[in-house]
Amino acid sequence: MNERVGPFGTNIPIKIYGLSEKSVTIIFGTTIENDLLDLITDFNRVLLRNPFSGLITTVPAYTTLTVFFDPLTVMLSDLPGVSGFEKVSAHLNRIAQTEREKSKTTANEVLIPVYYGGDFGRDLLTVARTNNLSEAEVIDIHTAGQYTVFMIGFVPGFAYMGGMDTRLSTPRKAVPNAKIPAGSVGIAGNQTGIYPMETPGGWQIIGKTPLKMFDVNRSQPSLLQGGDKVTFKAIDLNEFNAYVEI
Amino acid sequence: MSMKISIIKPGLLSTIQDRGRYRYLAQAVPVSGAMDELAHRLANKAVGNDDHYATIEFTYADASFKAETTILISYSGDGAFLLYNSEVMPAEKPLLFLAGSVITLINNPLGMRTYLAIAGGWDVPDVMESKSTYLTAAFGGFKGRALQKGDVLHSSTLLSEISSEILNRLTERSLTYPNWRISRESLLPVKREELRVVLANEISWFDAPSIISFLTNTYTIDLKSNRMGYHLSGKPLVRKVKKELLSTAVTPGVIQVTGSGDLVILLADCQTTGGYPRIAHVAAVDLPLCAQLKPGDEVRFSEISRDEAEELYLEREHDLSLITTAISLKYNKT
Repeated sequence: MNERVGPFGTNIPIKIYGLSEKSVTIIFGTTIENDLLDLITDFNRVLLRNPFSGLITTVPAYTTLTVFFDPLTVMLSDLPGVSGFEKVSAHLNRIAQTEREKSKTTANEVLIPVYYGGDFGRDLLTVARTNNLSEAEVIDIHTAGQYTVFMIGFVPGFAYMGGMDTRLSTPRKAVPNAKIPAGSVGIAGNQTGIYPMETPGGWQIIGKTPLKMFDVNRSQPSLLQGGDKVTFKAIDLNEFNAYVEI
Repeated sequence: MSMKISIIKPGLLSTIQDRGRYRYLAQAVPVSGAMDELAHRLANKAVGNDDHYATIEFTYADASFKAETTILISYSGDGAFLLYNSEVMPAEKPLLFLAGSVITLINNPLGMRTYLAIAGGWDVPDVMESKSTYLTAAFGGFKGRALQKGDVLHSSTLLSEISSEILNRLTERSLTYPNWRISRESLLPVKREELRVVLANEISWFDAPSIISFLTNTYTIDLKSNRMGYHLSGKPLVRKVKKELLSTAVTPGVIQVTGSGDLVILLADCQTTGGYPRIAHVAAVDLPLCAQLKPGDEVRFSEISRDEAEELYLEREHDLSLITTAISLKYNKT
């Protein structure tokens, strides 16, 4: 393990471990924090702009960034080290020692229209009752906040979003639903998320968006990416149907 | 001219796979691809294809197909033997069949999955830079689904020089196959039921007896196993650190330990992130045979270092490149 202090001059020590012969994970911390997320997003951006030869892709998560690579190409590079792990670590440590780019304004802002309640949000009442709120108050609070996409995981395009008002916190269902329709907006604990396709799931469903959260025909299939800033807007059924027809 | 087959009987689960979809992991698109990547690559090499060309992954046997044109194919893997005119066809060799030939897959008790390559590769659209089928989200491969009776599959018309030369020589001499074959056995470990593993980042979360138990006990592949992962039954592991792991990237080969202490080996279609602590990962060189294990099979784990695993991987790749060189020398213009 490589212990280091502070990527980009911060005092957050990072640690690198091998996940497989073809991947390493950088640990930036152990708790969910916005500062940490920003650091991971920045580190990822700098790395992708300054890739080492053999880099395939990266996967940001709550407190980690995982780097996938082709060991054959890495071994041919002139990075210091005798193994692929050492060579990739050397490059990552070099990135950590560069100046942090101050470009946080580049965060993508996305507005998601949602039809709340009814058949599209069968657990809206549960969320309201759990928190001693009316259904209308739940909608007001949910649409008032700005959310940060922590990571995309579970199924293609599923965004885990943090920054939710704790007045809406609701535990997951004890027994997951066998089928949650695509577009369903849910709450689990302190996070909110959107099911991009029909899957089983245990989140409390409060509404549905007409947007396609994942579409293989787009150049970026997943509508949301780690680090994006998201807000929700309540729409009525006519508006919902108008979206679907587009 | 493209070669063509029609599916007479699809078998339990037959999908188009290649070496996987790596560039969309951050959007939670799984790698997918051939479970036994080694067999997939050898089947391709035997007909002069690039390793990444799409093959059909058959699960067990009980499948058959018909050549609608002359076809140049090859197969590799442990789930089935190819049978033609009551004769078992050799694996890891180019095989030439004339239009109308019916080829049947019969059971190979050794494993589970068999790969069928065709010269030029199976021609299906690229989805996110790969032809691999991902059934959960119904994309990739042949219409995003498993093959069905009556499906007609084409090869790409673009043959490599080696493929063309193999085809020409077999045709000229009216042979079904040449006298050479790739030796898959020489690439496989001696102990099939022993998987070499590298201990994972959360190893210290488990108590010492559990780690010893993991490295000495036998585990059985559970019925719940599929392309996403293998559930193992055996002595549950005990954790000494009870903290929660925040979801982080995982990859095929990673062995997670569930809340009840059971082991799950993640495989081709696994989710891109996971929140269970990891005890180890299966060495990349042993992952192909791992994918041939069937429910009910027993498996053991033996520890190697991260550096050893990497060296084994590089050696394997070197051996595979030698095979490619040998085949291309054989078919060089003389």
